[in-house]
Amino acid sequence: MKGRAFALLLGTAALGVAAPPARTTRGFEDRTAAAGLAHPHRNRRFKNPYAEIMAGYTALGAAAAVADYDGDGYEDLFVTDSSETGRNHLYRNDYGKTGTLTFTDVAEEAGVAAGNDAADATADALFLDYDNDGQPDLFVVRFGHSQLFHNLGNGKFKDVTQAAGLDRYANSITAIAFDYDRDGRVDLLVGNYFQPVDLFHPDTPRFFPESFETANNGGGVTLFHNDGPGPDGQVTFSDVTVKAGLKLSGWTLDVGHGDADGDGDDDLYIACDFGTDRFFLNNGDGTFTDRTEKAIGIDTKKGMNAEWGDFDNDGRLDVFVTNITDDYMREGNFLWHNDGPGADGQVTFTDVAKETGTWETGWGWAGKFLDYDNDGWLDLYVVNGWVSAGPESYVPDIFNMVVKPGLDLADARNWPPMGKKSLSGYEKKRLFHNEGGQHFRNEAARHGLDSTRDGRGIAVADFDNDGRLDLFVTNAGAEPYLYHNVLPPGPHWVELALEGRRSNRDAVGAEVRLTAGGKTWLRFVDGGNGFASQSTKRLHFGLGSAAAIERVEVLWPSGASQVLDKIAIDRIHRLVEGDPGVQPFPAEARKR
Amino acid sequence: MTIKTFLSLLLLVLAAPPASAAALAATPEMDFQAGEQAAAAKDFRAALPRFEAALAADPDSLRYASEYRMTVIAAKAYDRALGFFKKLVLDHPRSAPAALNYGYAYVDKIPAAGSITQVILANSAQGWFTKSIEIQPTWLALFTRGNSYLYWPKVFGRTPLGVADLEAAIKMSQAVPKRPYHVRAWISLGDGYWKLDQADRARATWSEASKLFPDNPQLKARLARLGDDLKEYIENELDPNRRVDTDLKPVWMEP
Repeated sequence: MKGRAFALLLGTAALGVAAPPARTTRGFEDRTAAAGLAHPHRNRRFKNPYAEIMAGYTALGAAAAVADYDGDGYEDLFVTDSSETGRNHLYRNDYGKTGTLTFTDVAEEAGVAAGNDAADATADALFLDYDNDGQPDLFVVRFGHSQLFHNLGNGKFKDVTQAAGLDRYANSITAIAFDYDRDGRVDLLVGNYFQPVDLFHPDTPRFFPESFETANNGGGVTLFHNDGPGPDGQVTFSDVTVKAGLKLSGWTLDVGHGDADGDGDDDLYIACDFGTDRFFLNNGDGTFTDRTEKAIGIDTKKGMNAEWGDFDNDGRLDVFVTNITDDYMREGNFLWHNDGPGADGQVTFTDVAKETGTWETGWGWAGKFLDYDNDGWLDLYVVNGWVSAGPESYVPDIFNMVVKPGLDLADARNWPPMGKKSLSGYEKKRLFHNEGGQHFRNEAARHGLDSTRDGRGIAVADFDNDGRLDLFVTNAGAEPYLYHNVLPPGPHWVELALEGRRSNRDAVGAEVRLTAGGKTWLRFVDGGNGFASQSTKRLHFGLGSAAAIERVEVLWPSGASQVLDKIAIDRIHRLVEGDPGVQPFPAEARKR
Repeated sequence: MTIKTFLSLLLLVLAAPPASAAALAATPEMDFQAGEQAAAAKDFRAALPRFEAALAADPDSLRYASEYRMTVIAAKAYDRALGFFKKLVLDHPRSAPAALNYGYAYVDKIPAAGSITQVILANSAQGWFTKSIEIQPTWLALFTRGNSYLYWPKVFGRTPLGVADLEAAIKMSQAVPKRPYHVRAWISLGDGYWKLDQADRARATWSEASKLFPDNPQLKARLARLGDDLKEYIENELDPNRRVDTDLKPVWMEP
């Protein structure tokens, strides 16, 4: 083994290619305060008879979404607060102007700061270009009435929730935008946690989960079909949940899309708390079929994250789901390896979390795939921790509740208040380095990414366009983190900003297979997968030592496919559907 | 013999079941053997009622109960067993083995349950182990309850209770001729000390046990490990998702 490693080292040196960074190199720097992002999230405190009980179960809402809202070529950030007086933040990335990684909060002037009030609490956020005008619009997911903001293109947004037909009460906690029926417009899938009882003034105490393992009294999901612009030019949405076969009643925490069976349309993984995660196959006719039992089996765990990515480079999209793994609850995460279609044509997955070393991450929340060291393998960053408070544990309280025979768990009054106690608190985050698609090794401590705050979301993006992926992490009731990737340059990379023409403008759902150095990688444009966070839509490929790209094959959501070659490495390209080659990425062109 | 008497006897003979059927129902052992045969043939539907008939007639039999539960595990008929033992302990409230096996039936279901249901099952099991000890404290019942306490997270504070039970079980075992299965209490007692952060005492316990039970692989495995390696090993041993061996064959085979 040593001899082989030595030979490889010699080989890379002879080729003049930089070797991977030494294991001792610290790869990330905490730039939160320096970048102007050190504004803490605050949890919502409800003011109703169940407030003390709810406090322990609503430490949510710390979320972030990434998009270049002003079109300057640098990824911006929308970051949420959840307290009644809390203002949401739209952080404009000023790197293009200053050459340093700094942001300015422009939410007030942009008109998107007001996300919280006595009747609404922000839970998540999502950028989407619902009208295909090339300017990312914004959907603010709330317990209450969610908001849709239209990007006017002049630095300002306009609230179009009502005009778009989206004004309704729901306890929504997550959303993705993807074109499920491939009509060229992104649709909106919203995940709801509680059923639509007014949490601010509940008229019943029976709004908590009825079971820890098979609860079916949650909010399910809502699928809004994008009906396109009407005569007045206003895009509207219509609720097609039932028609599409997605009528559910689980406690949804996350939804994720990806093409599991390679048929060109996007399937769904729905991660549910207190019960069974769901896998839906897209039938290609505007409907979905529940294939849970066949594809992943029936689980009783606390699913919180649905991230898709090809971690083993076998050309199929896999799924990573976080659950609860502590000394009092040994659920373990799921790393669903996509086994592809079987003899019966049905796709199945195998959970390889234990085998790959990704099983245990405490009380997990977001988990995101990213190739942080550009070695050509998707790594995995996972944040965790529920409530980090006093030294006393809340576990015995829960235990005393669950062993009471015949207890009505749905009745919030039966749940013990958490008070100042902790539950799975002060947990260290995990950065799993992918060791060749077979195993992952935790490298969080070495890179300074093992914070113990109560993490929720992870937005992955190359904020300074240097080809190295950075991380923005949201924490419940605490300041976020901006982790700037400072690994030494060396391994090659390329980033592709896709633009649909017949397809939706953001190219959500597009798959790119890139071949370099004899290896082929699959990446796809996702519309907001992963809990409480949306990463960049730009496709990032770590190429390792491969010095040239041999082939790029794009499968667009429209069904069109496109093949390109001779694309330069170590830069960002704009790739437009139907155009013969790539175009310079504006920000990079200016820089050069 | 009058004609009337003759006819009465004839009727009695004709009304009696055939000899073979009468024999199967005649003794619990026959029901048990029939259950064993059916279980061996994986005919669980036939096996379970025969085991239940045997146990209903002899609720104190560890052998019947253990083999019944092993068949239940194979058939994944956990709820059936829980229902059966619930009735058995109602019908035989002073049977310590019945109570003990009712607890085991809960333990047997744990690996097949979700994480919160595991807690509920484990708690129910401990209630029946305690009942069994209250009726008749035995090495087996003390070891069982003591060992079960070790599966609980530290925060519940049950490990010291487990250590106390295991110490009592070992004391009890020292008053009778040594049996191979007695090693289990020693192993668990060491685990209990380890869980109480008394690593030296744990090691001393396993070392002492290894003199009494040389070549025991579980003792060797523990004594060969240190630090995180040992931690990982014991945590794996006490993982509630792993099936706990509740087969009492070693006990009833070597009473």
